[in-house]
Amino acid sequence: MNKWVRENLWRHAVAIAVCIFSLFPLYLVILSSLKTTGSLQVSSFIPHEISFANYTYLFHSPKAPFLTWFRNSIVIASTVAISSVFIGAASAFAFSRLKFRGKRLGIRLLLLVQMFPAVLAISAVYVIMERVYTFAPKIGLGSQGGLILVYLGGSMGVNIWLLKGFVDSIPAELDEAAKIDGASSVQTYWLIFLPLATPVLAVVCLLSFIGTFNEFILARLFLVEMNGRTIAVGLQQFIGGQYASNWGPFAAGSILASIPIVIIFLSLQRFIVNGLTAGSVKG
Amino acid sequence: MSGIFRGKFALIAKIIFLGITTAIMALLTEHAFAQKQFVIGSFILVATLALNIVYLTKISIPFKFFLPGILFFFAFVIAPIFFTVQMSGYKYQTGNYLDKPAALEQVLILGAQPDAAGTTFDINVGKTPSNEYAILVSDITNNKYFISTKTQRTDVPKASLKFDANGVAIAAPNFTPISAIDLAKNDAYSKINYKYEGKYYIAIEGQNSGGVFRQELSYDAKTGVLTNTATGATYVDNHRGNFAKVGSPSEILNPGWRAPIWFENYSRLFSDPKIRIPLIRVFTWTFFFAGFTVLSTFGLGLLLAMALNRAMRGRRVYRSILILPYAMPSVMSILIWAGMFDSDFGAVNSILHTSVHWFQNPMLARGVVLLVNLWLGFPYFYLICSGSLQAIPNELMEAAAIDGANPRQVFRKITLPLLLQILSPLLIASFAFNFNNFNLIYLLTGGGPTQTLNGEIAGSTDILISYTYKIAFGNPNLQDFGLASAISVLIFLIVASISMYGLRRSKVMETFV
Repeated sequence: MNKWVRENLWRHAVAIAVCIFSLFPLYLVILSSLKTTGSLQVSSFIPHEISFANYTYLFHSPKAPFLTWFRNSIVIASTVAISSVFIGAASAFAFSRLKFRGKRLGIRLLLLVQMFPAVLAISAVYVIMERVYTFAPKIGLGSQGGLILVYLGGSMGVNIWLLKGFVDSIPAELDEAAKIDGASSVQTYWLIFLPLATPVLAVVCLLSFIGTFNEFILARLFLVEMNGRTIAVGLQQFIGGQYASNWGPFAAGSILASIPIVIIFLSLQRFIVNGLTAGSVKG
Repeated sequence: MSGIFRGKFALIAKIIFLGITTAIMALLTEHAFAQKQFVIGSFILVATLALNIVYLTKISIPFKFFLPGILFFFAFVIAPIFFTVQMSGYKYQTGNYLDKPAALEQVLILGAQPDAAGTTFDINVGKTPSNEYAILVSDITNNKYFISTKTQRTDVPKASLKFDANGVAIAAPNFTPISAIDLAKNDAYSKINYKYEGKYYIAIEGQNSGGVFRQELSYDAKTGVLTNTATGATYVDNHRGNFAKVGSPSEILNPGWRAPIWFENYSRLFSDPKIRIPLIRVFTWTFFFAGFTVLSTFGLGLLLAMALNRAMRGRRVYRSILILPYAMPSVMSILIWAGMFDSDFGAVNSILHTSVHWFQNPMLARGVVLLVNLWLGFPYFYLICSGSLQAIPNELMEAAAIDGANPRQVFRKITLPLLLQILSPLLIASFAFNFNNFNLIYLLTGGGPTQTLNGEIAGSTDILISYTYKIAFGNPNLQDFGLASAISVLIFLIVASISMYGLRRSKVMETFV
């Protein structure tokens, strides 16, 4: 008994203490989403009455068109995730398997440019898209189409880099065999490589989805109209420092918006941890 | 299955897809050129041509794979970076936002001064028999009526006119009125200065009213000199994006244009105390913030990993709870934390029974920022460290224990150095990431508290990137894209050297170098 205490007590103590730290804000936000009053004032840690008023508010108030925001987020994030993986996979395949001049230079450039944080180029992106707006408002500043294009461009570097790592880990014997059988590179890509890589592509796709879902600053700059906003921008603008009156609905909204992401994340845990050690940092 | 990617089907699909893309992009090119967006237009044009050449010929197989990626990469990553670097060499800010011809046009419009009495007339717009725009002016006060074109003014006797109920002339000989609907379709008439008396002219102020103005500024395109005909003052290009008065260079005409000032935005960072002093403060805090975050998240993560590094009851439950902060969308968690520290309604004050203004005190605000970032970041290092601890061979520890080392010595002399060696690239990556952790600062404190009364824009918790954002977008009255771009380039150099160092250590580069 004494030995058990000496060897294990501190482990449980540390784990429990940090678990409390990590659950503290989450528990409180769930608690306040179930309250009727608007504030986060916590009178007790145990809810006395449970009310879904905040949740119903979200689905009915024109001040916070939660479902529209949520749909926007899903549409934007899935468009970006699917297209960027589709485009990125082809580039990654070329960088990983094909031999061509300038390959080394290309990879180095990709690596270097990736270090230029996207937020820094934001004023340039702003000015460029403002100019695009003058002739094509649908894909210029203020439109979801424009935002998707910017996201797609921005995700290229990371995705190609990440996908290349995955592609490198897929054994090359199969596509070499296909080559010997007379298949062209394009055929090898579609018939051998893509079916093999589908699980990996799906994972990168979901990671890209999470990343886009989480993006705030470009979305804030682009999406000015209430009904065009993503969930992140919508809720941020909705709370807008007015914690007193809007806290309850915000709490409910942030929980609902987080659930799908948390589920995706937990189910992908194994892959994400592997990806982490490859040097990518989740934003 | 394989037939789909060979033969007719694939070819037809390719041609249809390429055709649609080409059509859309050609349309965009045309629109872009029509709006004089030549650079963007040319890019789309080149992209269209490249797509067609690559996919319709066999010039280059690799290009078939990465052309779309390259095009996106150039348009939205490389181009903005080049543009940022370029902007950093320009005076590019509110008041100096246009190009030079547009700015000159604006200056001339502002140079038009109304006459002393601010006279306005009722007018009707029409055309002369020679199809020239003309206005029929009713100077009711002086009982005078006349038709004016750009070049001449003809008085019309009252008897030949027709009037409406208000006594405004609506029809005259040699004058064909234009209907309001047609005027709304084409506003060319409103840009003309109609002749009045001497240097004065009538400018259109609405469909039915015109004011008397005099152009005080005249521009000589040959010498590039603007002259104020009323005061005799002359203005010349000061090569800093404005017309400045000769003999008194501080008197400038607005608006200005974006003008190349080369390295001035960079030298301002060091020479202008209004920029230098906050910048140094922000710079120091950024390093401290990123460094402390890496240390604290790594420390807590490692502690947890060590604690849970053996089979024990409840480990899976602990693990699931511990990675929750990492699984949550960070935007949501940051906003939740911001609400918790709200001074009036936040949970923290209500639990502690205090009423501390967390975000008003610089030191407290910084503490909150560090705490929240610890919460957000420790699960990452927990996951990493548990993986790496398992990768360290047990024999090493056992050997040390046999040699008589106590657990603390084993940790300090063996485990920690090995871990640091394995994880240093990730620690550096984490430093670089937090160096630019814009979302945290922007959403949690907004960079504040800020001494706005002193005209400061840099707050106590502002890191370089949020400060840069404030310079570019923070104050609608003074958006300084040039200065913001210069700081961006500076940050890039810092982050790139840190990351390069990290990558070199991680030996990723070895594969290519």
